[in-house]
Amino acid sequence: MWIYYTAIVGSIILMGGSALYAIYWAAKGGQFANMENGARVIFDAGEPVGKVTDLFPGLDLEKERARKEAKKKRKI
Amino acid sequence: MMPGDNDAQERAEIDASCRGPVLLFFASAVFWLLAGTLFGLVSSLKLHNPYFLLKLPFTDIYLGALNFGRVRPAHLNAVAYGWASVVGLGVCIWLMARLCRVRLRYPGVVCAAGVLWNVGVLSGIISILLGHGTSVEWMEFPSYVTFILFVSYAMISVWAVDMFVHRKPGHVYVSQWYLMAALFWFPWLYGTANILINITPVQGAVEGIVNWWFGHNALGLWFTPIGIASAYYFIPKVIGRPVHSYYLSAFGFWSLALFYSWNGGHHLIGGPIPAWVITASVVASIMMIIPVVVTAINHHMTLRGHFEMLKYSPTLRFVVFGAMSYTLASLQGSSMAIRSVNKITHFTHYTIGHSHLGLYAFYTMIMFGAMYYIVPRLTGSEWRSSVLIKIHFWACAYGIITMVVVLSIGGLIQGFMLNDPKIPFYPNIINATKPYLIGRSVSGIMLTVGHLAFAYHFLLMLVGMGRDSGGPTLFNQPQEENS
Repeated sequence: MWIYYTAIVGSIILMGGSALYAIYWAAKGGQFANMENGARVIFDAGEPVGKVTDLFPGLDLEKERARKEAKKKRKI
Repeated sequence: MMPGDNDAQERAEIDASCRGPVLLFFASAVFWLLAGTLFGLVSSLKLHNPYFLLKLPFTDIYLGALNFGRVRPAHLNAVAYGWASVVGLGVCIWLMARLCRVRLRYPGVVCAAGVLWNVGVLSGIISILLGHGTSVEWMEFPSYVTFILFVSYAMISVWAVDMFVHRKPGHVYVSQWYLMAALFWFPWLYGTANILINITPVQGAVEGIVNWWFGHNALGLWFTPIGIASAYYFIPKVIGRPVHSYYLSAFGFWSLALFYSWNGGHHLIGGPIPAWVITASVVASIMMIIPVVVTAINHHMTLRGHFEMLKYSPTLRFVVFGAMSYTLASLQGSSMAIRSVNKITHFTHYTIGHSHLGLYAFYTMIMFGAMYYIVPRLTGSEWRSSVLIKIHFWACAYGIITMVVVLSIGGLIQGFMLNDPKIPFYPNIINATKPYLIGRSVSGIMLTVGHLAFAYHFLLMLVGMGRDSGGPTLFNQPQEENS
């Protein structure tokens, strides 16, 4: 039984220690520096900021927007 | 060669490397979604019609395997370990490859882990239906099943570390923090809880503490981080706009890590455990308002000016519904941890409404959204039908709203009546809650319709009957946003 309890206490120390190490690693490695640029890492030249990447199948966004705009004008 | 072609090529190669393993996880997740829905519907019908499926129709043979006491835990475990965990792992695997910007390493290990996990869940569900469940909520699987699940999960965790070590250099995006944390937290929780409940069982009230430390953390440190990681990836990616405040996203992550693991004790308010354990948990539950509000503000501000995209993108529609539900579910959860509120809502249907708001309206809806984004990129074809997607969304949205509303109202009525000792349980309280239980079954039928539409649509994609991707849709021919 003591093996299990040692494993549990050891894992608590390990989890706490790894969380502290993660903060240390992130701070030292510059992960917290220039964070606003970090938000852009999911974009690239192929899918840059400003590009929509998901639509209902068969939907043409430009046509849909033009149709909506025309409808709005007709109402006015 | 156009600028960006290299990036598109790299993305296509990463997606292709994920194809087999991620589709294996998604296909089995959809199977468990249907199985879990069926078990849920049977449990719900039995609550207001106890004779439903008591015997095999037209015979005198009792259906012991479908007793409420077995089919209800079968529902919980099929949706938690079957659907939610398996789809979450599939999304994790794809996101890890995308965010590490490397092709999936060791796909054989990932597939083996997937098969092992499914074998574990199947054995567990059969064991529960045969009456071998443990009766410890959230941990009903017998110990031999938990061992299989632990080994499978450990394989995925080690794989994730390997992917992380071999990632391309650069910034670690906030979603990856959440995913890595979730992949470490869960095996730790699951291993520790199983040692203390199944292998060397702790005695008395401590078992309750361990049980709910695990039960609540499975939601908070396993499903929640995957849901938030997905929202932080898909909302900016779909609308083409970076997260409003990246500082807030990092702050949200570390505050969630700090406060969530203390929350489990609020399930034991009024129970025979030391009061300070409960008080610490109540405080931590209230502190959860910080990461929740931070995340809500961040998602709302990211989306500001782009709300019209909810009409045009299925992924965004599901993910934003889920993100809004996360805010609601969490704030409701914090309020339910207050002793004076808990006195009314504890042991009532209100709690069931809350748990469905969290695991379904928040987590499951985000996972649906993620699948709508990922699957076409794996199969190389578009979803077949906008109508099926819309049926799926509206049936699930109205279904879950109905469920949460009827269970909340019914639960409050039940709670107030239970607190009055002059009111007899039968027939008064039974009759007062029955209409709401029927309402819950109606909502379950609506969810079933949505799930069947989704499963059929997914099957079409899986057998190569998706739309030809040469058309005007955007997954391979992105268009410029005006703004």
